[in-house]
Amino acid sequence: MKDSLTLLSRIPAHPDSRCWFLAWNPTGTLLASCGGDRSIRIWGKEGDAWVCKSVLGEGHQRTIRKVAWSPCGNYLASASFDATTCIWKKNHEDFECVATLEGHENEVKSVAWAPSGSLLATCSRDKSVWVWEVDEEDEYECMSVLNSHTQDVKHVVWHPNQELLASASYDDTVKLYREEEDDWVCFSTLEGHESTVWSLAFDQSGERLASCSDDKTVRIWHQFNPGSEQGGAGSGTDPTWKCVCTLSGFHTRTVYDVAWCHLTGALATACGDDAIRVFEEEPLSDPQQPTFSLAAHMARAHSQDVNCVAWNPKEPGLLASCSDDGEMAFWKYQRPEAC
Amino acid sequence: MMEVTSKLTSGCITSAESVLITQQSHEELCKVLNANKASTSSKKLVVVSVSPQSRASLAARFKLTPLDTAKKLTGFLKNLGVHYVFDTTFSRNFSLLESQREFVQRFRKQAEDKKALPVLAAACPGWICYAEKTHGTFIIPYISTTRSPQQIMGSLVKDYFAKQQCLTPDQIYHVTVMPCYDKKLEASRPDFFVQEHQTREVDCVITTGEVLKLLDQEGVSLPEVHPVPLDSMFGNLLEEQLSGHSGGGSGGYLEHTFKYAAKELFGIPVKELHYKTLKNKDFQEVTLEKDGQTLLHFALAYGFRNIQNFVQKLKRGKLPYHYVEVMACPSGCLNGGGQIRAEGESGKDLFHHVERLYEMVHPEDPEMNKAIRDLYDQWLGGPTSEQAQKHLHTQYHAVEKASTGFSIKW
Repeated sequence: MKDSLTLLSRIPAHPDSRCWFLAWNPTGTLLASCGGDRSIRIWGKEGDAWVCKSVLGEGHQRTIRKVAWSPCGNYLASASFDATTCIWKKNHEDFECVATLEGHENEVKSVAWAPSGSLLATCSRDKSVWVWEVDEEDEYECMSVLNSHTQDVKHVVWHPNQELLASASYDDTVKLYREEEDDWVCFSTLEGHESTVWSLAFDQSGERLASCSDDKTVRIWHQFNPGSEQGGAGSGTDPTWKCVCTLSGFHTRTVYDVAWCHLTGALATACGDDAIRVFEEEPLSDPQQPTFSLAAHMARAHSQDVNCVAWNPKEPGLLASCSDDGEMAFWKYQRPEAC
Repeated sequence: MMEVTSKLTSGCITSAESVLITQQSHEELCKVLNANKASTSSKKLVVVSVSPQSRASLAARFKLTPLDTAKKLTGFLKNLGVHYVFDTTFSRNFSLLESQREFVQRFRKQAEDKKALPVLAAACPGWICYAEKTHGTFIIPYISTTRSPQQIMGSLVKDYFAKQQCLTPDQIYHVTVMPCYDKKLEASRPDFFVQEHQTREVDCVITTGEVLKLLDQEGVSLPEVHPVPLDSMFGNLLEEQLSGHSGGGSGGYLEHTFKYAAKELFGIPVKELHYKTLKNKDFQEVTLEKDGQTLLHFALAYGFRNIQNFVQKLKRGKLPYHYVEVMACPSGCLNGGGQIRAEGESGKDLFHHVERLYEMVHPEDPEMNKAIRDLYDQWLGGPTSEQAQKHLHTQYHAVEKASTGFSIKW
């Protein structure tokens, strides 16, 4: 099983610092990394090697916690503990900061672009989730401030093809939001995790959402449309999300990140026990009560906590990871035959 | 967690401030009234000033007209031992007159003072709290110095009315009934503390919802209360009717200032304003144009998201407005955090009902109010006097941001 995940290369991406997060651009040719050194690095492949193409150093006063590419690939957003979000415009290999989004009271923890590219979501330790609208002139306006969570909000992610937003929090819940009239509303709260929910990932269809937590589990939530047997009656027009699978007993510490490959359906996790794991859905399992099995387990993938895992959007099985040790690693995942 | 306030301040209230807020409640009013009953010597004169937004909320809950609500509430409060019940619409006349005068002055100064415009309305304490804490010295010069109706009522009651009654300010206990928790914070600002007599201009603010609790606690149904005529410290002219102001449930600051400025600065009389809704219903603008030129450009920005956007634009030098009526609550003061919550009907339906009741009250022009004119003369010694400045205006203070703690894993 160990052979199903092989190391391709390891790079000291943010030396003497933590490497917090990685994001592939939509074409899978560039990888952005960010870290405690307040910098963003853009990596591209030259031959077999990943090399640093640009360093975005001026922009934030404190740690950069997450980065996100716009769907068109021409913009990069960065969320920082300095309470701001920067928008960087790509011009060949150069990046220029074209906007700084202010408003959060303190640390911005995550940023995500909606599939349309005209909306952006941010979340913060101030417990709020903000939805921003972008116009043609790179002007950003706040459309909504959502105060549904009762604690620090760790992560935001958009549905892959609908204007539906999900957030994960230190209050142990996941919240789902949609637009209503001229504002946004929380329409569902997913309860089940017993501690902080650190990250979220939709599958390729958007019918499933994976969440990972400090409770050492990963939960798979499935969308049931109103009127359907499982969706139940009287829930109005909103779909219901129910937990259909809990992956427990695999992780020995906090699960910090989860990534769902939209090409193969493989689910990767980043864990505080320094390991990377990959799960596959059992081929014959009931889609409404799926079972997932461990397909790969790379113990000591890094020398410290693994903070992030990211599947390349174009090349099946290419996985990037990063860690508190400041390093970034590239892995080749191959689905084991027994799986 | 305590029940606060607008979303704007819920995150920025300090624990010291939350103590100030919890110290003001209907229980505090009851304590004072009970002490009055028990004592024969050191009684306090108890005055309650009711906001028109609270009255509309109560009217909706009890299916009464605004006038019946006012009279029955007066009856209820007097049965409890309150001596006088006033309406803060009266002091709002001063707020509106001073706001419009201040705007015109600042508009004329715009060439020499870069921060003369835009003028940002100051009646909303949630907005003021947020502005002082988040944008401090940058934003303060833009904020109108005109006091809110609550705090002008404070001056009137503890200064003018006290003298009329031959009392010192500390011998009066002044309570206001407000649609908003942040009004408690406003009342406890050091700027509104009378040092000489160690008393606040407004001793206690209770919300509309707390009036409902008080009724429950006393086992009283408002519709069954015997109506009592309204009090007026300024003659008995308006005994049998209420008056209001045009321009919406948040007080009409934009509307009055716009009309006055159009006439005063450009000689253009404006009868009716045409509000244009922008990104959402809580962000609207009004323009005065002549020969294709925009003479006046005003906006109203309610709720955190719209405040956020206009402040960011102001910081980038891209805010086109001369005046912004700012309110922390979405939909403004009629939807304040202290109003009575919906029961059985939707929040939106209740809001529209409250709005209709609020608008039933006949609007008056503050410039035509004789009692106000007389007070300017007799109490303040003219509209631009030092006394007028002292009693009708205030100041703001930048607050240093508390540094945030660090924890291990983020």
